[in-house]
Amino acid sequence: MVVYSFYIFDRHAECIYKRRWLPRPTSTVGKSRSDTVSGAAPTGLGQTVRSTDDDSKLVFGTVFSLRNMVRKLGGEDDNFVSFTTSQYKLHYYETPTNTKFVMLTDLKSPSMRIALQQIYINLFVEYVVKNPLSPTEHPGGVGVNNELFEESLEQFVVRAL
Amino acid sequence: MPDNTRGVFSLIIINKAGGLIYQREFQSGLRNLSTNDYLVLAGTFHGVHAITRSITPKIPISQPAPSPATSSTGITAPAASGYSYPNPGVPVSGLDYLETDKFRMTCFQTLTGTKFLLFTDPLTGSVDTIIQKIYELYADYVMKNPFYQIEMPVRCEAFDRHLGAWLRGRT
Repeated sequence: MVVYSFYIFDRHAECIYKRRWLPRPTSTVGKSRSDTVSGAAPTGLGQTVRSTDDDSKLVFGTVFSLRNMVRKLGGEDDNFVSFTTSQYKLHYYETPTNTKFVMLTDLKSPSMRIALQQIYINLFVEYVVKNPLSPTEHPGGVGVNNELFEESLEQFVVRAL
Repeated sequence: MPDNTRGVFSLIIINKAGGLIYQREFQSGLRNLSTNDYLVLAGTFHGVHAITRSITPKIPISQPAPSPATSSTGITAPAASGYSYPNPGVPVSGLDYLETDKFRMTCFQTLTGTKFLLFTDPLTGSVDTIIQKIYELYADYVMKNPFYQIEMPVRCEAFDRHLGAWLRGRT
């Protein structure tokens, strides 16, 4: 199973954490805008260069629209779980406080709902929420800047998944 | 209604411009929306479908022989050849299946861009055959109808009849 990327959005639609596991020249934590200028982004084939920043906005727009669509059709207690295209699978988990966890994996992966829940309970709550120094709101995209969280997330994805 | 159409909640057909051209409910299970809401849903889905195609992860094609010095620092020279997709042999598609707690939505896009959305029970099997059959019926009774105006709402009695009959006959 391959994990391509992972995003956390807070209740104000702000992307507070993103991480990619693609073999990119710079595959570090979000907020680093360096991979837009790395030159690895292809400019041929009529494709424009799109930064990871824009990617996270597109991901948010997608899950936000689909979640609302699902709520409308299935009722308020229905939950959007995942979607599949011919190339990847997107998993979604939302906490009661509207923090959204999104993970993009390959098609062979099983349901990652438990895994995302585990990341929330065991990593996010433990290391970010319980950290008195970490901000509760992230105006202007400060983001989760927490070594412990990042390290354990890395380990979780590499080992457990 | 007996549960002969078991598992199939409803069908939506969206034209290539994102307009709703057909909507029919076979079995209750989803909440009823107004016609206006269905139009909004069709338009929204049309956009989301395009976005899901564009956020496909791109895997940079690695250099044939990266020098160990660059790979250890994690900084590789920009690959001139660009990237490949996770499943290189398969054409990049937008959203195909959407899963929720209560239903599963299957999207089938024809070569001309018309989208068929089928809402089924999460446990219904062989959704692909159902949607293929629906496409076949659409081709037979809508596209071959000389009075049907292309891209306009589908009002073909024969299509309705055969669709209902086929879904009812399916076990």
